[in-house]
Amino acid sequence: MKIRRREFLKMTAAAGAVAAVGVPKLNAFAATPAAKAAGAPKGEWVPSTCQGCTAWCPVEFFVQEGRVVKVRGNRFSKANGGYVCPRGHLMIQQMYDPDRVKVPMKRTNPQKGRGVDPKFVPVTWDEALDTIADKMMELRKANEPEKLMYMRGRYSPTSTDLLYGTLPKIFGTPNYFSHSAICAEAEKMGPGYTQGFFGYRDYDLAKTKCLVVWGCDPLSSNRQVPNAIAKFGDILDRGTVIAVDPRLSASAAKANEWLPIKPGEDGALAAAFAHVIMAEGMWSREFVGDFKDGKNLFKAGVTVDEAAFAEKQTHGVVKWWNLELKDKTPAWAAKKTLLPEDQILRVARIMGKGGSATAVYMGPGVAMTPRGTYTAMAVYALNGILGSIETEGGVFQSSGAPVEKFPSADKFIDEMAKHHGHGKKIDGRGAKDMPAMMGGKPGSGVVTNNVANALLKNPDAIKVFLSTWSNFNFSCTGAERWDKAMARIPFFVHMVTNASEMSQFADIVLPATFAPAEKLTIVGNMANLHGHISIQQPVVKPLWEVKAEETEVMWLLAGKLKAKGFANLYDYYASFEDPETKKKPANAGEFAEIAAKISSQKVWNGKEKMKGDPIAGWAEFRKRGIYNSETYAYKKNWGKDNPETKKFEGKFKTETKKFEFYSETMKKALGEHAKKHNTTMDDILQVSGYEARGELAFVPHYESPKRHGGDKEYPFTFIDYKSRLNREGRSQNTVWFQEFKKVDVGDESWDDVVKVNPVDGKKLGISTGDAVRLTSTTGSIVTKAKLWEGVRPGTIAKCYGQGHWAYGRVAAKDYAKAQPRGGNNNELLVDDYDRMSGSTARNGGFTGVKIEKA
Amino acid sequence: MPKQYGMVIDLQKCVGCGACALACKTENNTQARANGQTYNWADFIYREEGSFPNVSFTAIPVLCNHCSDAPCVKACPVSPKAMFKTADGITMHNDARCIGCRRCQKACPYSASDVVKEKAAYSVISANESKEAPHAAYRDATEMIKGCTASGAEVAMVAGAIPPGRNQYDHPDYLSVRNKGIVEKCVFCEHRVKQGELPNCVVACPAKARIFGDINDATREPAQLLKKHKPMRLKEEKKTRPNVAYIRSFRPASVS
Repeated sequence: MKIRRREFLKMTAAAGAVAAVGVPKLNAFAATPAAKAAGAPKGEWVPSTCQGCTAWCPVEFFVQEGRVVKVRGNRFSKANGGYVCPRGHLMIQQMYDPDRVKVPMKRTNPQKGRGVDPKFVPVTWDEALDTIADKMMELRKANEPEKLMYMRGRYSPTSTDLLYGTLPKIFGTPNYFSHSAICAEAEKMGPGYTQGFFGYRDYDLAKTKCLVVWGCDPLSSNRQVPNAIAKFGDILDRGTVIAVDPRLSASAAKANEWLPIKPGEDGALAAAFAHVIMAEGMWSREFVGDFKDGKNLFKAGVTVDEAAFAEKQTHGVVKWWNLELKDKTPAWAAKKTLLPEDQILRVARIMGKGGSATAVYMGPGVAMTPRGTYTAMAVYALNGILGSIETEGGVFQSSGAPVEKFPSADKFIDEMAKHHGHGKKIDGRGAKDMPAMMGGKPGSGVVTNNVANALLKNPDAIKVFLSTWSNFNFSCTGAERWDKAMARIPFFVHMVTNASEMSQFADIVLPATFAPAEKLTIVGNMANLHGHISIQQPVVKPLWEVKAEETEVMWLLAGKLKAKGFANLYDYYASFEDPETKKKPANAGEFAEIAAKISSQKVWNGKEKMKGDPIAGWAEFRKRGIYNSETYAYKKNWGKDNPETKKFEGKFKTETKKFEFYSETMKKALGEHAKKHNTTMDDILQVSGYEARGELAFVPHYESPKRHGGDKEYPFTFIDYKSRLNREGRSQNTVWFQEFKKVDVGDESWDDVVKVNPVDGKKLGISTGDAVRLTSTTGSIVTKAKLWEGVRPGTIAKCYGQGHWAYGRVAAKDYAKAQPRGGNNNELLVDDYDRMSGSTARNGGFTGVKIEKA
Repeated sequence: MPKQYGMVIDLQKCVGCGACALACKTENNTQARANGQTYNWADFIYREEGSFPNVSFTAIPVLCNHCSDAPCVKACPVSPKAMFKTADGITMHNDARCIGCRRCQKACPYSASDVVKEKAAYSVISANESKEAPHAAYRDATEMIKGCTASGAEVAMVAGAIPPGRNQYDHPDYLSVRNKGIVEKCVFCEHRVKQGELPNCVVACPAKARIFGDINDATREPAQLLKKHKPMRLKEEKKTRPNVAYIRSFRPASVS
């Protein structure tokens, strides 16, 4: 039957002559495409930087009529090749979130607590900043500036120096803390105490022959998602991908070999791999060296004479074998890891065959556990034994791009600030049981999550608390402690885009810029063997009265403090000078721009010849949006024999300048910490919860996993992982996050499911879709069960991200009633630490859980 | 051979990340799921097989197959047809001629009239509600915190479009946001293709897993890939001759 539109109209009007399917209401009065004549607005691509994860991807926004409509990677970026991962696209909905805070607001309900309505009302920026300045001045007047605390959430690596790096020093408080230790800091201990590099690694994925993805899922998260996605499929053509993960991750789903390890047993697997690689003679002769007579003496159970081996770039390989590896056979590891012995052996041989083109890509799953420092060392040391340090297809230290520091603030620090600013920090770093020896320096690492404990112990410690782009009540394990601690803070100022969980405890909320599209600053990072700096800028006029917290807000706040008699901060900022025009800032906007120009000037001012992209000036840099460094040179930090002195000169930043399988660097740091507390290193190890004593503490080694909650009461081991759509806990209020949640392997859209092996489901009488209550020694959440084969019996897995009880009307099930959509893993996970690094434990199955039908 | 636009999706390269489907939403301003309609012109299906630890997982990106024998075209009752084949082989939809009868949706083997009721993982064709204008959330004037947070309607008003991130484009057959009471689906971004650009899902794929072009042109990559690999197409038994083909395997063979 053929019908013309006009006839159809007539017929349906007549008497429903056509039995139309569904609801054929006509669009007779709607504008037709023909009616809307040609002339769609042109658009332009404007560069900026995504900060949805730690990749900090240089991006471009497509702008039409002052609106952001599309996103892509910056086409000049060597880190992402012009592509974004799915997170990038979510920025549009995050920026245009109907629930964004559009004006400053203040609390009118003095009562604070989870589920207590703060009764926020709008205030002007002027009133808000006046109130904050008054509260700060009270501290100075009372000679207690240390009762000001600043905590940093997501930040700009350059302009952070104007808030995190400046305000506490000039004001006079030692209490400023970064979020870093709840992220992945313990990872850094692996390369740190072996190679002297306390940082995140890069990889030559374009050449890798064997990629070992371990405790992370580079296709979903972990610092270079677009680069990993771009190169993964080709590695499968070229060689082998191995995935070590207790759950079937995206990488595991695409790997040749999935090793679903028992949570927390990574150190056992690493030891067995090293054992096989050495016993079967597959170590790198070029990097590690060889037995003097060429005969392999590494035999299971046999101690080797150190003098028999001549090392090249490394130190202590025989000590490592003797102290740790000689008995760590695949059969031993199979019992610990619950992986088949033949698979361990097979994979070790594949790694050995890949040799120096085998990249062991270690993630937080290995390290962010209560004894994670040693596991990180054990897994990372595999790169050492394979010789894949800075080789074709191997593992690299980070690349950077030149950034200019801001002028020194020293002369603006007064006596009070000097005196109080050097007091003891409340996060407990450097305590006997918290060595926190990041960078080889005891007491130097931040212990973010311990701040809540300090606040609970000493409620008077902090009177005024400022925080930016943070949400510790949601993002920290033992989240409930933060609810209690925050309820007691007398005056809390939160600078954020959304009324988050933490904002519910705020006295003043200042609407922050949505950094990727509204903030002007310079961001740097690296991937794919290149470092870069990229601009982050307002690509369109922001819709609301938002300000950049590290620059604009600080300028205005400094002005208020000056008006109230404390001018030092303002005077410091006002001393800045535009590197091009020499003009000094006259307002907040100029201050932000001058700061960005100062930070980035080296790459565009032409004073020094740059090895990377040539850029003619600030205007060109702003238009292009990125400077890429030169390519990382292979073996850059390998040592050489000096032909004159005949001595080996190493370049790694360890005590021996070599790659340390026996960590003299660890020995020194731990020794210093013990000395400070007048005790032995063994005592420190004991009070900090590690198992090793004596010499074993200086080599990468196996420590058994710590677990909170006994097997009887809490029979399931809980695994937390990250969503490929998670923008650091901030994207859950976008419809697109919810709609495409299913792209996380095993997950469901618009839901939050705990994955349970069907064998366990049957035992418990639980089916897919059942509401279940998960309970740990710390807390309890209700969520939905999903029976799933991607996790072993006894282990359950749930993605981080859902469970918001605030933030917005999509993220929360009911914002007004503080009801969460799903459950927040951090309410289950126990507040514990890898004390060597000060990192918060969140992986390795350290939390036992029981499951009940809800 | 006449031109036939098609897409080859390399499942070995695909990582199932979702960037294509999201990029489609930004390009075509499709609305949020409602009333049993997904409005996801690009979407995914998943296949999980085996039991622990021998589990196989496959993500398959789906979109309109632009079938050569398209049942949706056959089913369209208006004349000239609202759903029709272009000379380039695209299954095109003309908004103005559409009467919203949804026979195309019924006829399409890859679509569901109501994904909730039919428990369908996806639907190529979505139907716009007949009474309510699209993007209801951006017409909602309620505020979460009175006077402090915005509302959907305010965001749209201040930004100047519904949805606020609306990508405006011109095409003789369809609008950049489709009206109420009609159906909509993937049109291979013909508004882009006509300007010499590739569909947005193709340019946005960080794995470069989507290859678009004339599959009848033996000199071009799509045809060459189809020749080199043994392609798989969805529901080939329906004999609609789909022009979206899948090559290689999402999960590689185990080395054991």
